[in-house]
Amino acid sequence: MAAREPGGRDAALFAPIELTGRGFYGVVAILFLFILWGGVAYWVQFEEGLGVTGLHQPVSWGFYVTNFVFFIGISHAGTLISAILRLSKAEWRRPVTRMAEVITVMVLFIGAGQILVDLGRPDRMMNIIRYGRYQSPLLWDATSISAYLTASIVYLYLPMIPDIAILRDRLQKRKLFYTVLALGWTGSERQQRVLNRAIAVMAILVIPIAVSVHSVVSFVFSMTLQPMWHSTIFGPYFVVGAIFSGIAALIVAMIIFRKAYGLQGYLKPIHFRYLGQLLLIMSLLWFYFTFAEYLTGYYGGTPEEMKVFWAKFTGPFWPFFWGMALTNFVIPILCLVRLGRHTIAKVLTASLSVLVGMWLERFIIVVPTLSNPRLPFGEGIYWPTWVEWGELAGSFALFALFYLLFTKFFPVISIWEIREGREVGLKEVEERLLTYLPDGSEAELAETGRRW
Amino acid sequence: MSREHSVPDRMARAIQWGLAGAAVLFIGGIVTWISHLIRTAWRLKDVPSASIGISLVAVPVFLTLLGVILYVFWGLLGDRSE
Amino acid sequence: MALWGMVIDLDRCTGCQACVMACKAENNVPAVGAGEAVRGRIISWMQVLTEEEEGHPGEIKRFMPRPCLHCDDPPCTKVCPVYATYRNPEGIVTQIYARCIGCRFCMAACPYNAKYFNWRRYQKEAPGQNPDVSVRPKGVVEKCTFCHHRLQKARDRARVEGRELAPGEYITACAEACPARAIVFGDLSDPGSDVARLARSPRAFRLQEELGTKPKVIYLTEGEGHGRA
Repeated sequence: MAAREPGGRDAALFAPIELTGRGFYGVVAILFLFILWGGVAYWVQFEEGLGVTGLHQPVSWGFYVTNFVFFIGISHAGTLISAILRLSKAEWRRPVTRMAEVITVMVLFIGAGQILVDLGRPDRMMNIIRYGRYQSPLLWDATSISAYLTASIVYLYLPMIPDIAILRDRLQKRKLFYTVLALGWTGSERQQRVLNRAIAVMAILVIPIAVSVHSVVSFVFSMTLQPMWHSTIFGPYFVVGAIFSGIAALIVAMIIFRKAYGLQGYLKPIHFRYLGQLLLIMSLLWFYFTFAEYLTGYYGGTPEEMKVFWAKFTGPFWPFFWGMALTNFVIPILCLVRLGRHTIAKVLTASLSVLVGMWLERFIIVVPTLSNPRLPFGEGIYWPTWVEWGELAGSFALFALFYLLFTKFFPVISIWEIREGREVGLKEVEERLLTYLPDGSEAELAETGRRW
Repeated sequence: MSREHSVPDRMARAIQWGLAGAAVLFIGGIVTWISHLIRTAWRLKDVPSASIGISLVAVPVFLTLLGVILYVFWGLLGDRSE
Repeated sequence: MALWGMVIDLDRCTGCQACVMACKAENNVPAVGAGEAVRGRIISWMQVLTEEEEGHPGEIKRFMPRPCLHCDDPPCTKVCPVYATYRNPEGIVTQIYARCIGCRFCMAACPYNAKYFNWRRYQKEAPGQNPDVSVRPKGVVEKCTFCHHRLQKARDRARVEGRELAPGEYITACAEACPARAIVFGDLSDPGSDVARLARSPRAFRLQEELGTKPKVIYLTEGEGHGRA
């Protein structure tokens, strides 16, 4: 098929699915090395107990819980951005939404997996199902994350159906697979009506679910009485941070696949400029929340809060705290204020910096509070071991592998939405624009103006 | 396209309805699980209000999700006017 | 129904650690070994905290024995996802080792750091252990139980002898071992009991009372020598 229409329109979008080069296997091999590291680390931990990590009394939560919050945060990229762009009819969304939605689905598996890695008794995991109790915020997480996972899989799948139908008709391989998933799509009027309606419902439904997810993740901390955790703004603070890191992850993924799959024609500097501006806004918003959170703690000045506060500002955690301020605020602002030239390089720098910074932010929330108990115990310092580093590396690699495999089965940019943009989008936008403008001729308008 | 269903076509259709069934089972399982948690909390007098309150939000959300899934399956697969 | 509680008189405490050792022997609390101890994984259900007296640095040390405070409104039981820790009707906050999934949420939620985790498998069943107390496996949380097994034993004995449980029949190992008699244990709901009488003392205070956890371990402040009434 591909030979019959060499090049063909949108050939670049089919290429990764039709052909698999040596580069792919090379990347997969490297990822497998990291995953192996994580796997060995987990096996050792399963056999020996959590003693092989750097966790101790009183720092009983460390890397794993940080990773949990971080990865679940990344998942907000996805669906939330894509849903908002879709609902606001932002036309530039067309090549962006699919990548965002894939991030969400893939990273949610990784994020939920962190809790299992963190358990002292993973063999008793089923106790959560059998004896779960809803007073515990952990069960709120379980419920909210399963709702989000279900919703985001549906929200990823629905806009993919027409693309799967295209693949079904175009490719010779995996015939049954694509036929099943295409759900008999022929593009009839009724099918289009059904699909558009379902996508619209999902775009609305997925937003409150996404907000609930990171709110209840923050509630794991804020529902306790611990200093600098027991804070009412944690819900929105975590959601803002989640969207912030999510956009950064989306930009990095877009730049990688743009380069790897030659998608320069689809992902243009203008897309990165818009996303960069969004990232800039989120950076400012994140700074505002951080400022509000720390100023409240500082001004109130209760001794327990201040112990944690100074541990972050000048104590043993200062490199992480100020590193976070640098990577989450200073670097992104410097990079994103002017995006006229070198847009992509600047946006990439800012995004990578934010990914580091948001991980540090999660770390700086989880650990210092635990390491400064209320009673006179002496400060507990936490150093991760190779096991925790292995889980971190393995988690990132597993996420990358899932994402990469996805691109080998499905187009990473929505083909039908690009086509729709070319065919109907242009006209629609023109019509819509006209409805924004005042009616009637200029003379009439001038007349009305004079009367007033 | 041929009107009569070929064997792979019938198989695809069977898997598709199987997927819809799996969605019903999955979400049905979650709803059953939530009601199991309410029952446990009630029996142990262990803050049943929390379970009931959360389920009042969670169950409708899951049922709406199921509704959307079934609507799509029914709407796409039921369309034979090719 | 009884409401078990404890009064610890800080004026009498000498910081001798007898309570700590008695507790370890009574409850099969594992010795984790030097390597684990350096990593901060000592398990000590009863722990004597020390603090330099403000204004007298290096001169006066203050001691505070800290068991589990058995809060009447415990922050730890609220957050447990699987009902592995709960407050029983007599006010004792208990752990179910066979149920615990090791998420350590209760440890993060306890404002008194009274909960301990089995980071490794620290011990097996062996001769010389107290047969009344189960040995904890790896990966679960444990803490002071107010020597709950002693209550069960005392109650069984009373039932066999066909009488009510007498005051003083059930007492924790730490209270029994304290040479300075700083620890008094008993039924807070019985207004005539020693522990209830001491709990009404003007010197009585509760740790981090402002958190509203309502601990049932009540401390008596140090005397005039330390600047407090």
